[in-house]
Amino acid sequence: MTNSGSLPARLIRLLHAVEDGILILLLTAMLLLGVTQILLRNVFDSGLLWAGPLLRVMLLWVGLLGAMVASRYDKHIGIDVLSRLAGEKWRPWLRIATDLFAGLVCVIVAFYAGRFVLDEFTYATPGFAGIPAWMLEIVIPLAFGVIALRYLISSGMQLQRGLKGSIRV
Amino acid sequence: MSALAGLGLLLLALLGAPLFAVIVAGAMLGFLRQDIDLSVIGIEIYRLAEMPVLLAIPMFTLAGYILGESQAPRRLVRISNLLLGWLPGGLAIVALAACALFTAFTGASGVTIVALGALLYPALKQAGYPEKFNLGLITTAGSLGLLFAPSLPLILYAVVAQQMTLERPVNIDDLFIAGILPGILMVVLLSVWSGWKHRHSWKRQANFQSWREAKAAVMDAAWEIPLPFLVLGGIYGGYIAVSEAAALTAFYVLVVEVFIRREIPLGRLPGLMREAMIMVGGIIIILGVSLASTNYMIDAEIPTRVFETIREHIDSRLAFLILLNIFLLGLGMMLDIFSAIVIMIPLILPIAMGYGIDPLHLGIIFLANMQLGYFTPPVGMNLFIASYRFEKPVWDIYKSTLPFFFILLAAVLIITYWPALSLALL
Repeated sequence: MTNSGSLPARLIRLLHAVEDGILILLLTAMLLLGVTQILLRNVFDSGLLWAGPLLRVMLLWVGLLGAMVASRYDKHIGIDVLSRLAGEKWRPWLRIATDLFAGLVCVIVAFYAGRFVLDEFTYATPGFAGIPAWMLEIVIPLAFGVIALRYLISSGMQLQRGLKGSIRV
Repeated sequence: MSALAGLGLLLLALLGAPLFAVIVAGAMLGFLRQDIDLSVIGIEIYRLAEMPVLLAIPMFTLAGYILGESQAPRRLVRISNLLLGWLPGGLAIVALAACALFTAFTGASGVTIVALGALLYPALKQAGYPEKFNLGLITTAGSLGLLFAPSLPLILYAVVAQQMTLERPVNIDDLFIAGILPGILMVVLLSVWSGWKHRHSWKRQANFQSWREAKAAVMDAAWEIPLPFLVLGGIYGGYIAVSEAAALTAFYVLVVEVFIRREIPLGRLPGLMREAMIMVGGIIIILGVSLASTNYMIDAEIPTRVFETIREHIDSRLAFLILLNIFLLGLGMMLDIFSAIVIMIPLILPIAMGYGIDPLHLGIIFLANMQLGYFTPPVGMNLFIASYRFEKPVWDIYKSTLPFFFILLAAVLIITYWPALSLALL
């Protein structure tokens, strides 16, 4: 992208490290909590009341963070039949269109999910174990926002290259 | 207008737009038409946090990535060889059985071909099997076993079916049992064919190596052998739920391969976790947005209307099943198994039930059909993984899988038209 020492490049690397870090920490915590819960129930005949809901929310977070990272590597599931047939010349332009579409859709989802979370904040909807619901839900607008940015930037960069006539796939 | 929008979305999907974006766009258009505030999308996606069984997805996927990176596949092949290597076509059958077991326990994410194919492909060659046969066998075996518990597609089907209010809810444990005989049928048919094809070259070479080799192979895999028993025993013994079994599997595998055997350096673990979660994220986000689109579809009574339309033309169950098979084969060519389940099951399941098809049987039909999709062009995932892994053109891989395709197609037809095969053990 940009040269590796510049400020934007460093910021992007930092963002990636934060994403990866949270994802890996959450997954590890999920794993440990899940196993602890099994042990507590089967061996000690007890259990943590909040572990169930917490694990389910962590699944949501891990899934959406995973989706954020997937968009970083362009690894989202797609069908991609026609663009394979489209040939070298058209493919970059198709990518601009599909990335732009995905970006705009994600912007809309992020906006409305954000409004939903804001409502929950305003009405102070309870989540579980004293955690307000909005804190658990905030990952939805966040993830869609980041994914939207990634697709929009990707399509913008492709467009820039396309207009310069230097597109090569 | 709405037909036009639908066509536009379909076109975007075919052009390679991410599926989750296409689905959520469709759901939003639907909600707009019904004057429902789009904030509902956020609420629907949050329902992901209300399904405990989904924990199985990241956990089994992680276990698969860890096992695939360790030496466990080598040990699995060694043990399978001990048990099955003496049969005609022995090594081919070893390959089928080992792949089926591996896939069942690691989801069906394409790890199998990479992990086991890399091992079996040269071994088969060395044992004198022809190249084309080996390529076809490995590529086909890569998706074998997804009818066996506790594979992720089975779990996901049950999750999606449970979202719909059915007279007879789909229970995961029942679905696991329903998959046993159809899964065995597939393995047996492929094994018999492999044995028959190579009956002349059967040299009785490595019938039973020696008790020493047997003991060594068992000792070698001593840490991995308890795993299937632990997981299936735990589930059927009523000690743990499926999601907990998945957490246990991931934990056990991580401790054994990273800390006890030290086959994966600790520093590699974060990278592996990230790779696994990219795969998981792709599935979870599609599932999340599908919850919204499913809700819209049910509200708008789309399955009922489609059913009534089909009913006008097709009144017999048999005719419907034939149509279903053809449709699913086409679907399997375009969609991967996870997207296909979350997108199509909410539509197909009520229709199939209208024709009196058992939801468990439908699940097995659906997944068996989709299994073929892994290696049918143009987008069969395993074709590309095999092509990349073995450095062969996709076209060669495709040709090599053709005989295997017809055998599995026969299996799919038997599974479809003989419901007792799926339901007998229940």
